[in-house]
Amino acid sequence: MRAAPRAGPDSTLHVPWEWHTLGNGLRVVLSPDPTAAVVGVNLWYGVGSRNERSGRTGFAHLFEHMMFQGSANVPKNRHFELVERAGGSLNATTWFDRTNYFETLPSHHLELALWLESDRMGWLVPALTEETLSNQRDVVKNEKRQRYDNQPYGDWDERLQAMVFPSDHPYHHTVIGSMADLDAATLDDVVDFFGTYYVPSNAVLTIAGDAPPERALEAAARWFGEIPAGSPIPPLPGHPDPGPRIGGTVRDRVRARVPLPRVLIAFRVPTFLDPRFHAVEVAGAVLGAGRASRLYRTLVRERRVAKDVASFVYPLITGSSMMVIWATGYPGADPAALEAALVEQVEGLASATEAEVARAVALTDTRFVRMLEQVSERADLLSMFTFLFDDPDRLNREMELIRAVTGEDVRAVAERWLGPDNRAVLAYEPAP
Amino acid sequence: MARAPVDRTRPPASGTVRPFAFPSVRSDALASGLALRVARLPRLPVVASALVIPAAEAGLEESSAGHAVLTGEALEGGTRARSGSELAEALEGIGASLHVSVGWDATTVSLSCLADRWEDAFALLAEVVFRPAFPEEEVARVREQQLARLRQRAMDPGSLASDRAAELIHAPRIPYARSTFGSIASVARFDGAAAERLAGERYRPRRGGLVVVGDVDPDRVSDVADRVLAGWEGGAPEGRDFEVAPRFREATVHVIDRPDAVQSEIRIGHTGAAMRDPAYHPLMVANAILGGTFTSRLNRNLRERHGFTYGVRSSFAFRRSPGPFSASTAVATEVTAPAVREIMAELSAMADHGPTEDEVEGARDYLAGVFPLRLETTGQVAARIAELIVYDLPDDYHARFRERIRSVSRTEAAEAARRHIRPHEATVIVVGAAAAVAGPLEELGIGPLTIHSAEPPEPPEPAESRSGEG
Repeated sequence: MRAAPRAGPDSTLHVPWEWHTLGNGLRVVLSPDPTAAVVGVNLWYGVGSRNERSGRTGFAHLFEHMMFQGSANVPKNRHFELVERAGGSLNATTWFDRTNYFETLPSHHLELALWLESDRMGWLVPALTEETLSNQRDVVKNEKRQRYDNQPYGDWDERLQAMVFPSDHPYHHTVIGSMADLDAATLDDVVDFFGTYYVPSNAVLTIAGDAPPERALEAAARWFGEIPAGSPIPPLPGHPDPGPRIGGTVRDRVRARVPLPRVLIAFRVPTFLDPRFHAVEVAGAVLGAGRASRLYRTLVRERRVAKDVASFVYPLITGSSMMVIWATGYPGADPAALEAALVEQVEGLASATEAEVARAVALTDTRFVRMLEQVSERADLLSMFTFLFDDPDRLNREMELIRAVTGEDVRAVAERWLGPDNRAVLAYEPAP
Repeated sequence: MARAPVDRTRPPASGTVRPFAFPSVRSDALASGLALRVARLPRLPVVASALVIPAAEAGLEESSAGHAVLTGEALEGGTRARSGSELAEALEGIGASLHVSVGWDATTVSLSCLADRWEDAFALLAEVVFRPAFPEEEVARVREQQLARLRQRAMDPGSLASDRAAELIHAPRIPYARSTFGSIASVARFDGAAAERLAGERYRPRRGGLVVVGDVDPDRVSDVADRVLAGWEGGAPEGRDFEVAPRFREATVHVIDRPDAVQSEIRIGHTGAAMRDPAYHPLMVANAILGGTFTSRLNRNLRERHGFTYGVRSSFAFRRSPGPFSASTAVATEVTAPAVREIMAELSAMADHGPTEDEVEGARDYLAGVFPLRLETTGQVAARIAELIVYDLPDDYHARFRERIRSVSRTEAAEAARRHIRPHEATVIVVGAAAAVAGPLEELGIGPLTIHSAEPPEPPEPAESRSGEG
């Protein structure tokens, strides 16, 4: 039996893995860990909102819902029911670049997950009906209302993406899409999308946890091996390379039913595939992760001009990615003053100290190791690194890459990508 | 590779079940009366710790509602040895994160860090809890942030619905009628003296505990805890346990008017059951069937059959005293009344007829099966062990959980549902456009309907001018 995953602050990670490719092109990654009787199954499909053609925004996500509506041998509702009855949990998420489906189960139910996933990868179409499409369209529209339309600031990502990415770029529109486009989706669209993108060669299957690799591989081949390979997926719509910077400071000012003023600033930054991405991630953490971060320390604690602050970097892969920071002001705060306070901290990054960078690295590091405690996260990360980098072992080197970021790297991020030639500023003010 | 043909027409047989055991926990009591619980889980070099203190919102007077939460937040303001920023740098510089969470029944200070940093990080935790400084400017900031948060909650439809539900379900004198966030008046009254007083009186070891889970040596943890916590003594005043009473004896309907809402947030509930209620396990089973899983009756009906919602759930808020039962969802404005009708029908069906044998079997399998899945991380294990301290549960509670769940019969689940799910006493709260939803809701004939304003509170005056109240 192989060693269980190990990691230490002074050593490299040792998450075990094996990578095989079935005859139909399906990549299968196995990562055994016998310490608990739990297995994680993760299927990563290389399709997301970036693949949507115009007039069909939100479709990749609507399609994800259709994957739970039954397949040739699995009636509607049975998928969730069987996994729940087995004492498992499951879900799926749609993102710009990918859609992932995952189950965590007591390990003696591994084959159940493989049966369910292979049935819908191979034989979804016979189960599709107008009725389930209409039902799930309503469900997704309610999801949009609940998470976006009925929420204060609920349209922030739509507004920022539209400013950061040009109208012909695949990230110009959101994953949730528009109501009109959801209404326009047809059953033919579902069939086409399935045949185009849900093919074995456009997917990675990871089985992590209490599953001996030889048995897991044999089972994966048994359930997935006979699914036809499919064709290579078509090129992305639009123009995937927007250039490294926005080309100025663009603005959007919104008066809306929001409780407090909030200013968000977004920047175009290198993609997750770019070796400089780790420096961007660490720069984002110097700015906004934790209570010793620049934004929290200065804006929240010392000057008390912000009620809360945030910073995050999207790990996107198409041409450019996006970094976002925000500050929420107290009642009556002037958005222009909030923006100036944010900009001052961003510009201050050009003189970030080694101690600040060390703190950001330590936080990012610990969070990464803690994520590995869960078999579902390990499986998802292995699928991701295999799909994007052809390299599951990247998981084991990720901490080294984060630790290699220097103060100089962080200062270079500020200089290259956080300047006034690359900002999208979105300001919310409470409507009177 | 040669492959055996597969039969896709039915679910595959399961493999051999591997036994599961809750991690073994070493129990000690420190001289102060603090319980010590250590579980060694060496899989990854991480440690999760939780210091549980019985400083709780349920024990406070209404005039100081929210002060346990605020005192917990003000802890990050610094210690007698270092400022708030220095404290944050000391913790984050070693990759440790300290999180204070305060609820109805306890204050829990959680610490997560890499194993080789545990002793340093734990010393910082102790410094934060035993030697807090509560500098006035930090306390003022925490107070202003909370007042702003109250304003945000009042304009966020989901939070507004939950807060109003608590208020309309419980009799006004019951702590659970309030929000743990406090009210504008009680938050405005919070200052450095209030924080000092609360911490001085209630940050006491008796009936509290320290839980440490991860790649640690239990002997070493005992030694360090004894040394670092030496001299800590006493116990907090109680008050966490009380009788609950409903605000209304019969079913009522309340519309909180947001004229421009595109959706209605719905809460339907009434007083429920306590964590230590003998019906706890049967209620878990009944609720899993009603609204606790994706394939529950409520979700199948409202989401998968009618497409009314993205999701609907029901839950019992098990606390030291009986917390509320509620079903919650968000639906498009035009289907608000039909959605309420369907929820009420499902509650009645469950209360009147109970679940089927097959449903009970499915729920038992689900609850027993997912239990170990939620014990993967050191933080999850520490949280489970901390519950034993907060709720005075026996040490073998988790070890026996699955066995107890597997023993729940249909009759037991039906009886628990009949007693604790009471649609005829339900309070229906709808945050939405009253002009569109009030008429159709009234036609359902559930009970008297009242329309309330959803106007957010005015921005508070500077807190200094109010601090003399009470």
